[in-house]
Amino acid sequence: MTELLQQVVDGLGRGGIYALIALGIAVIFGVMHLVNFAHGELITVSAYTAYALFVAGWNWWLIAPAVVLTAGLTSVVIEFVAFRWVRGAPDFTMLMTSFGVHFLVQAAFVMYVSANFRQFPRPGWIFETWKVGGVSLEVFDLLVILFTLLTLGATYWVLHRTMFGMSLRAAAEDFDAARLMGIRSDRIIRGAFALSGLLAGVAAVFWLMRSGQAGPTAGLSPMLKGVLAALIGGLGSLSGAVLGGVVLGLAEVFLISYLPESLVGLTDGIVFLFIALLFVFRPQGLITVRRAERV
Amino acid sequence: MPNALVRRLLLPLAGSLATYVLLVGGGIMYATIGNSASDGLVTQMLINAIVVLGIQIYIGNTGVLSFGHVAFGAIAGYAFAIFAISPERKAAQIPNAPFGLAEVDLTPLQSSLIAACIAVVVAFVIGMGLARSGARSGAVAATVITLALLFVVHEVAKNWIDLTRGGKTGLSFSPLGRVTLQGRGWVYLALLLSLVAARLFKETKSGRLAHAAREDDLAARSMGIHPAVQQMIALLLSVFVVSIGATLRVFEIGSINPRLFFFKYTLLTLTMLIVGGRNSVTGALVGVVVISLGSELTRYLAGPSVELPFLNWILRNGLTDVFLGVSMVGFMIFRPDGLLGSWEPDHLVIRRLAKRPTGHLSEVRQIQNRLQQDHLHATEVVVDFGGFRALDGASLTASTEEVVGLIGPNGAGKTTLLNAITGLVTPSAGSIRLDREVLDDLPSHLIAQAGVVRTFQNLRLFPALSVEENIGVARLAVAGHIVDRPQPEVELLISASGLTELRHRRAGELDYGNARRLELARAAAAAPRFLLLDEPTSGMGDLESEEMIHRIREIASLVQAGVVVVDHDLNFITGICDRVYVLDQGKVISVGTPNEVSLDPLVQVAYLGGPIGSSN
Repeated sequence: MTELLQQVVDGLGRGGIYALIALGIAVIFGVMHLVNFAHGELITVSAYTAYALFVAGWNWWLIAPAVVLTAGLTSVVIEFVAFRWVRGAPDFTMLMTSFGVHFLVQAAFVMYVSANFRQFPRPGWIFETWKVGGVSLEVFDLLVILFTLLTLGATYWVLHRTMFGMSLRAAAEDFDAARLMGIRSDRIIRGAFALSGLLAGVAAVFWLMRSGQAGPTAGLSPMLKGVLAALIGGLGSLSGAVLGGVVLGLAEVFLISYLPESLVGLTDGIVFLFIALLFVFRPQGLITVRRAERV
Repeated sequence: MPNALVRRLLLPLAGSLATYVLLVGGGIMYATIGNSASDGLVTQMLINAIVVLGIQIYIGNTGVLSFGHVAFGAIAGYAFAIFAISPERKAAQIPNAPFGLAEVDLTPLQSSLIAACIAVVVAFVIGMGLARSGARSGAVAATVITLALLFVVHEVAKNWIDLTRGGKTGLSFSPLGRVTLQGRGWVYLALLLSLVAARLFKETKSGRLAHAAREDDLAARSMGIHPAVQQMIALLLSVFVVSIGATLRVFEIGSINPRLFFFKYTLLTLTMLIVGGRNSVTGALVGVVVISLGSELTRYLAGPSVELPFLNWILRNGLTDVFLGVSMVGFMIFRPDGLLGSWEPDHLVIRRLAKRPTGHLSEVRQIQNRLQQDHLHATEVVVDFGGFRALDGASLTASTEEVVGLIGPNGAGKTTLLNAITGLVTPSAGSIRLDREVLDDLPSHLIAQAGVVRTFQNLRLFPALSVEENIGVARLAVAGHIVDRPQPEVELLISASGLTELRHRRAGELDYGNARRLELARAAAAAPRFLLLDEPTSGMGDLESEEMIHRIREIASLVQAGVVVVDHDLNFITGICDRVYVLDQGKVISVGTPNEVSLDPLVQVAYLGGPIGSSN
């Protein structure tokens, strides 16, 4: 029982990070039907930012907000440089563009920094545990859960209480109709990228606290997890993305604890296999949101 | 017009041979005049060409973005290495290989073919999954499944140490380096066969039907095409070619490790395909050459032999990968169809040979037997969308000898009724019959083959295909499935719809009126008993829609089909229809001749909010 509780907290900690990344991907999918495989590059950029600031002598309390802002800004820049030009293009073109950006940013980091990973110190407290009754919980997990909830709360407030948020949801619901109602697509898309970047930034802070390294491919794993979570949730659905992240986090933790020793190295592979099977049988994800195409 | 044998077999074959001679000739020339390294580069380029041609067969023909092809390459590559490495060397590397594989001793040729077959078997399983997920152009689920395959294969290769020797060292033919692929004979042969296979597949029935589905999945289904079958055929052929290329790559390098067929190679091969033009076989080769040269050039510029102080910021290690990334993004933004689009060298000749139009319609008109009269019955159809009842027991009967109109205010359920008849939505009650054949539970493509074919309100042509191909592919889709009625010739339909001058234009370039006429001709090419037209005059002026009345009548009588037409333009409806059904809120409220229904007080209420009083 106590073990189960620990695993649930561990899973929620992981899942929270995935949820933030997935939510960003779902927001962008909502406004321009783009599955952003370049979303992980925001985390790569964050990682290098954190590394550079560490070298400059900053501490985590200052680095964290800087990382969040950098991710938000990078997201807007990527939209401006690349995705702006393929708005409304066929799905194939958009998919390929996002993969291209993904590879390009990686290559640029290899070229200008190094192909090797750079280490930076992790905050001292992340492995501390907190004993409640017989259960020992990682402080880090609890912190992630807390901040995920706060971030989701803030996002919910933005989406439901601000003019921008309501336009964004309207656009996600029916982009053409929203435009006809006078919603400025330019601003919404740029705003969506900013929001999605900020969410990725918050996720990046925690991801980096745990990994403690920066490298050209630092964003690959979180990107894949985020895309998978968003897909599990049904892509267009924002709450689905959050749910997908949590499901993925829990699934991973349980897989790791119950797989035989010799197969633990294959955890990611097994997760992928499950995801592939999920898409074979439910291509729309767990929650179906996309209505039938109009003919 | 040259006949099909020349057009679809001989000319493409000649074109491919010409391309082949150019490519291989250029390669040999480069290898001879270059330094010692250029020989290896040419070999690599030709092997990459085989792999890219293989990928082109799938992505080009189906439009499904696959990251899995490199994974199939990895499967074939490992299988090849395990079969072909001599037992003594295997004893040193993978002594515990399962299934007694450590003792297997096969020649490279045998190993290569068996490896390709293994990959094809895996591809079949994956292909079933892709079909189940509803793979179509740009489908995210399909892309994710193939991406998952890439990762799973990579993980297994890294972790199944007994079989693959894990990720650090990999399997190697010889500890002493390359002694493996001697000469390029096998590469030349494999390249020639791959090129011919890829080029001819584009002209096969499967290839052409896959193109239609690539352009518009839904429209293709409504024309009687079942894309999953064509996609599977494309996948298997494509994986076979990729696998052969992959085994040659492993043989040439002399070893294999998990990184050899992973993200980097995916990026390289996909960039080659995208840059040249994924829909063109020649384009794939052009892409291979351009990217190979570009990579070499950037590698040279970034190397130590070039010193340009003011360009130091860009001429450095890693430039090649940046070049690949920039090419991919740049082409997607500025030229998503690549350098060549879907062009092939034989197109030059075909256009030149195409004769001028052959006389007027009346001269070409064939004498046909009168077909028996058929009836289409939709009975008490109910369709619910969540809580909203779009159709509430609507019934409609039409015969092949009349034009039936379907009118009603917005949201009355007109299009929904067409969708229900053609299988795009599933009614919750009611039945749909074509004479005695029940269409209720059939998927769209079988309904089309049974003889009910539609057009779409928002125009769904196959934009990258020419006018002629749009009609041709619809005819092809039902060929062999219908026996009881003749199919109209493509020529006849082109001239009947007034598109003779535009026959080689891409459908995506047509103006509105011509596009509508093409959609009508395309539907007629499937030899329907019933043509269901959804707002065929929307966006047309009075004169054009007047003319459309004659087109529809002419084409319908040509294929002896009945017509059910939805439209808002009352002049048009009155001009063309023998009988009119009026729908309101999902129910039929009136039936009769155009004149009769216009006098029906119920219709006046639905349209105008009240009966037209005695004041006029």
